[in-house]
Amino acid sequence: MSNQRISIKGTSSGLIINIGSGVWQGLIEELDDKLADKASFFKGGRVALRVGPRQLTRPQIESVGQILKRHNVTLWAVEGEAPGTQEAAAQLGLETQLAPAKPQNLTPDAPQTGNALLIRRTLRSGQVVHHPGHIVIVGDVNPGAEVKAGGSVVVWGRLRGSVFAGADAGIGEKAVICALQLSPMQLRIADKIARSPADDDSQEPGAEMASIQNGQIVAEPWNG
Amino acid sequence: MSATVITITSGKGGVGKTTTTANLSAALAAQGKKVVAIDADIGLRNLDVVMGLENRIVYDLVDVVEGTCRLRQAMIKDKRLQDLYLIPAAQSRDKTSVTPGDMIELTNQMRDEFDYILIDSPAGIEQGFKNAVAPADRVLVVTTPEVSAVRDADRIIGLIEAEEKGPGDLVVNRLRMDMVRRGDMLDTSDVIDILAINLIGVVPDDENIIVSTNQGRPVVMSNGSTAGQAFRNIASRLNGQNVPFIELKEESSFIKKISNFFRA
Ligand SMILES: Nc1ncnc2c1ncn2[C@@H]1O[C@H](COP(=O)(O)OP(=O)(O)OP(=O)(O)O)[C@@H](O)[C@H]1O
Ligand SMILES: [Mg+2]
Repeated sequence: MSNQRISIKGTSSGLIINIGSGVWQGLIEELDDKLADKASFFKGGRVALRVGPRQLTRPQIESVGQILKRHNVTLWAVEGEAPGTQEAAAQLGLETQLAPAKPQNLTPDAPQTGNALLIRRTLRSGQVVHHPGHIVIVGDVNPGAEVKAGGSVVVWGRLRGSVFAGADAGIGEKAVICALQLSPMQLRIADKIARSPADDDSQEPGAEMASIQNGQIVAEPWNG
Repeated sequence: MSATVITITSGKGGVGKTTTTANLSAALAAQGKKVVAIDADIGLRNLDVVMGLENRIVYDLVDVVEGTCRLRQAMIKDKRLQDLYLIPAAQSRDKTSVTPGDMIELTNQMRDEFDYILIDSPAGIEQGFKNAVAPADRVLVVTTPEVSAVRDADRIIGLIEAEEKGPGDLVVNRLRMDMVRRGDMLDTSDVIDILAINLIGVVPDDENIIVSTNQGRPVVMSNGSTAGQAFRNIASRLNGQNVPFIELKEESSFIKKISNFFRA
């Protein structure tokens, strides 16, 4: 039973390491051993981690990344059910799902909403979140923070950093960016870019939504 | 006794971490606490200079970690205040000679004996920062009211949160009310607006700091300076007292305010 806690599978998305239940430290050591056993098999490859409901912190993901690196393997994705795990992985610039949403499956007027990433804290300077679906942030996006979503971005707070929505070609210009206070450093929807005006005094109070209208990014009061 | 380990850090360099560490250590010791200050800025040590203990260094932090000396041998006792000690940084080593694990172990060895262990962190987000933050129970983030310093403070707070050391408490240093009034400097409220963490103190820009640094005598050791009072207030707040923030005014009226304060 104990050697079932970690299993490694080849799938259509590449190599996947499944991490089951058990004490984290023990699992990590087991993983290290397994990799050592099959060094030549893994070498130079890239793997995804599948962790199920387990809640992983950023330092924990980093430590797995380091172990893999020691064995010459690159970690490219962490798939987990816990929002905290997804958030930590996204912050490290890792993918959070193994098969990215396929653009051709989306109907243009109803972008896929099944894979939104919920982040329940403030993104601070230097923090980067990338996600192929939509991103909802309950908190602020501070100056120097960066958000990039395949779909739309909703900020339940103040948006003062940079946001790129509609990075997924299948959603593109249909994406919107909403915030309770919209005073971004830079907004990007698909290939359109808007910078905040140099003097910020003309700040509209209240929630706003930015979208593309007639080929330009326009911000309007957000009335739901 | 079980010490509280407090790390003093910042994103941007030169904003006043070492000044803050020296003054809070001295102020806490003056309030009857047993305090040790650790200089974790390896290679660029200067907490010893600011505390006026430079000429008594024999061993340093790296010597302790590498087992060249016993912990006790590297602890310099301040002669002006009872129960104030310093563990200096190494002058000529690089930061990788100490690991986060070393810092945790070192502070654990001292926890029983002290009320407070204060750690002066190097600037930046590299290994030195990780070493300094690893053993922390509390983190103080120092910033000046400048956009670039606040931006870097925000970044550091993000890293502190990622290390699961809480968002930390904020010290705004070198505030100049005359400049705030003219609209040439961010006010404390602007800084809080961005960082959204607990404010534990506001220290005015005060030339007494420069004089005291040159003399190796933290300002809290003398009466009459505005910065000294601000640091004493932070120390009291660390001790769990509820000290109201002094209302910072322009230079002249501010001094009047302080003297009223002493009379009261
Ligand atoms: N409140 C203040 N008023 C006037 N000068 C100050 C004040 N605080 C700090 N300074 C001065 O600013 C300079 C930098 O301070 P300090 O060495 O404490 O910063 P630091 O953050 O430790 O720097 P480093 O990142 O290099 O370690 C020193 O010359 C100090 O005397
Ligand atoms: Mg310093």
